[in-house]
Amino acid sequence: MTRWPRIPVAKFLLSSLLAFVFGECFSLHAFTLARPDPETRSDRVLLGSTKRLRSLDPIGSGDIASAMITGLIYEGLLRYGYLDRPYRLEPQLAEAMPEVDATGTRMTFRLRPGIYFADDRCFPSGSGREVTAADFRYSILRLADPRSSTTGFWVIRGRLRGLEAFRKRVEEVGDRAYEEPVEGIQALDDYTLEFLLTEPYPQFLWVLTMHYLHVVPREAVEFYGGDFQRYPVGTGPYRLVEWKRNYRIELERNPKWAQTGRREVYPEEGQSDDVRAGLLAEAGASLPFADRIIRYVVQDESTAWLMFLAGGLDLTLPTTDQFEGVSVMGGLSSALEARGVVLDKVPALQTIYIGFGMDDPVVGGNKKLRQALSSALDRSKLIELRAGQEIEAVNPIPPGIPGNTTRPNPYGYDLDRARRLLAEAGYPEGISERTGSRLELTLDFASQGQPEMRQRADLMVGMMRSIGVRLTPRFQLEPTFFERIDRRESQMFYILWSADYPDGENFLQLFFGPNSSPGPNHTNYASDAFDRLFEQARRMPDGAERTELYERLAGMVQEDCPWILVTHPLIYQLRHGWLENYKPHDFPYGNEVYYKVEPARRERMRKAFRKQPLGLRPSTLSVNGGE
Amino acid sequence: MAGKSGRQQWHGGVRTLAGDVWARLKRDRTALACLVVIVVYCLMASWGEWVYWSARVQDVVPIYQVQDFGHRYEPPSGAHWLGTDALGRDVFHRTIQGARIAFRVGIITSLLALPIAMVLGGAAGYFGGRLDECVVWLYSTVASIPSLLLILVIASVVGHGLIGVYLGIGLTTWVGLCRLLRAEFLKHRQLQYVEAARSLGAGHARIIIRHILPNLFHLVIINFSLRFGNAVGTEVILSFLGVGAEGEPSWGIMISDARLRLWQGVWWELAASIGATFFIVLAFNVFGDALRDAMDPRLRMVEGS
Repeated sequence: MTRWPRIPVAKFLLSSLLAFVFGECFSLHAFTLARPDPETRSDRVLLGSTKRLRSLDPIGSGDIASAMITGLIYEGLLRYGYLDRPYRLEPQLAEAMPEVDATGTRMTFRLRPGIYFADDRCFPSGSGREVTAADFRYSILRLADPRSSTTGFWVIRGRLRGLEAFRKRVEEVGDRAYEEPVEGIQALDDYTLEFLLTEPYPQFLWVLTMHYLHVVPREAVEFYGGDFQRYPVGTGPYRLVEWKRNYRIELERNPKWAQTGRREVYPEEGQSDDVRAGLLAEAGASLPFADRIIRYVVQDESTAWLMFLAGGLDLTLPTTDQFEGVSVMGGLSSALEARGVVLDKVPALQTIYIGFGMDDPVVGGNKKLRQALSSALDRSKLIELRAGQEIEAVNPIPPGIPGNTTRPNPYGYDLDRARRLLAEAGYPEGISERTGSRLELTLDFASQGQPEMRQRADLMVGMMRSIGVRLTPRFQLEPTFFERIDRRESQMFYILWSADYPDGENFLQLFFGPNSSPGPNHTNYASDAFDRLFEQARRMPDGAERTELYERLAGMVQEDCPWILVTHPLIYQLRHGWLENYKPHDFPYGNEVYYKVEPARRERMRKAFRKQPLGLRPSTLSVNGGE
Repeated sequence: MAGKSGRQQWHGGVRTLAGDVWARLKRDRTALACLVVIVVYCLMASWGEWVYWSARVQDVVPIYQVQDFGHRYEPPSGAHWLGTDALGRDVFHRTIQGARIAFRVGIITSLLALPIAMVLGGAAGYFGGRLDECVVWLYSTVASIPSLLLILVIASVVGHGLIGVYLGIGLTTWVGLCRLLRAEFLKHRQLQYVEAARSLGAGHARIIIRHILPNLFHLVIINFSLRFGNAVGTEVILSFLGVGAEGEPSWGIMISDARLRLWQGVWWELAASIGATFFIVLAFNVFGDALRDAMDPRLRMVEGS
């Protein structure tokens, strides 16, 4: 009888389990799909991940995940030119850009004839009918309907004439209110739609690209009722095949386009960079390229990351730490490059700032103090902590939008100036001249238990301490954070503003007096000079004259320092080399129509993964990431 | 402390209770080692308090908060015994501060929880009746709420920072001891020495405080030792979740910070904070058990007879 060596069984099992787990984590090639994926073999299909979708009704939800899908099924009057930077609008279901009269309040759209809804059993014959101006009128009034549970009414509130009266009529007579005339939106004939605005609002054109104002057929809304959000019927390039709420959603090419002879083409003009990037290789080709689009519902970021590394997703947004794990000096590691992964760094239309409560007795009335604090903030360190995934903000308006001046921030990082201003503000070396005690400030964060944010806060505490100011961070959950801001109780708060549309007005309105709390002017900055100039600028159409006003307004903000301008985030996006025609966009809803994947190429590249292990071992990685 | 105990006589009155317990503990090497660990942590915590208060009094940046952005994520070396963290702060000094916070939590929560348990448990057991029903109802209710959830609720109502942790842990962890003391009081109030005291005309307060409590005080000590470790562990969890310490280097915060870069081989911050937590919790648990063995009157009787 053989005597087995005496190995403590539990210890052995544990160590092999650990070895397996860590071995797998650090050699991610093990996750590479071993055999071709049946979902991708046959046709052109785009693979991606999504957060959980709330609703497929265009007015049903305001989350990005849902908008990414509804943007493929529904369409509106206007859309963003895919390759145009700075962003420019072009007609989608409108025939041309609208005629705007001299007062700037009357906008007339001509609709494209021959646009049909997808076939669906909600139509009497089962066959989708042509879209008319009345459909747009219905869809937009539906957004204003007080009975709908939309989160998007704000985009038209107070903008169109007669909306309030319509809302009141709905309360009184219900659906019949839709048959009564509404002054602000009228279908003059089948192909002519007229908007009457309450006041000149050139930004309304940007609003028209948003999914809230996309066209839906009344038949579907009435046929499906509450289930309309699960059975979308639109005019767009794709239609829904299957939606398993927590697992997967699949779309396929809308056959109605071919039946009715509708043809959309890839843009024929772009910028010089686009030619080099191969973005114009398909100029003039028929859209869409992909036959199917599959999105897996993945809530966990690390899961999405591993799926991407294994080639199961075409593109992903890595978190800072995931990115640093595969990056070298802020660029891609050679292992990823060998796999043909492409990195896009895109400045997001976002501004991170520290707002001062202008009603606060300490910081509110003391401009020199605010300027001193702004001068003490070393943005470059904050950026280094995020491995270079941000750029310094010198202006409330981010780069890429008219009004973003190159004028440097007069209160950027300069410790000497900070100390001087602090003394002039009445706090030499941080000690109050009046009370003799050290200046103590509180900075609110909408975060709890996130180490990235805590490190960032600690870093800022150290910076303020270097001029003698004691800063205390206060972490809280988002609802509490905003409640305190809305009640004007917050002394300083760290926050991010993300553009609704690429217009400086969207950022400058954050300083407009009438927008004070609970409006978006969280600091409650109040300046008559600013308000007057802003009133003037926001009614003007796009142009050099307005841009100059925007720059002057931004200059006033720089000087008054209701914000400490911190950074503009960069979005680091990774995609596999087989995804063609991809150009990053801040409003990417519906852009999949331009993307192209050759299944054979994807399969070939994915097979090669096995010979290119990522080798994510600690010793090969630069610990400091971007340095 | 328990010098009045009638049971002392079983040993011939040669040794005091403390001396007796110490004699037993001495024989248990593991317990002694744990005691040494606890003493070392005590010294660390005291040093931490000294660093903390001297920096406050002198109005300077304490050494554990000094940032050195040029030396981020440095491995352990002569200059930084346990390396540096994401902002170039010294991990060794932060670990010491963690001990300070852990001891504060352990002591302050005990000061809250033990009196509650003693008063409620003693009163319920001794007087019985309506009062007993009320106390039993109260601790059953508290015990039926998941404790971590209750602590989180209290911490978020009180607001952030350590105050919430103190109150959260202090107001929820008295149930076990309270239940134990109630049962003991029920038993003891019928024993002869209590009868004797009563017949000599002693009042309720005197009987409870001078006669019964000294006989049960070992339970409080044992409970203190065991709950100390638990309180430290709970504080670490709360700080990790972001409802505990703020702006101060709790071990929970250090663990949370350190996991960002662990997979790149930055192990020292995590190792320091987890190691520090592990050893103190272990030491208090083992020592608490040893203390229980050493103090149990029944065990002492068996050995002494």
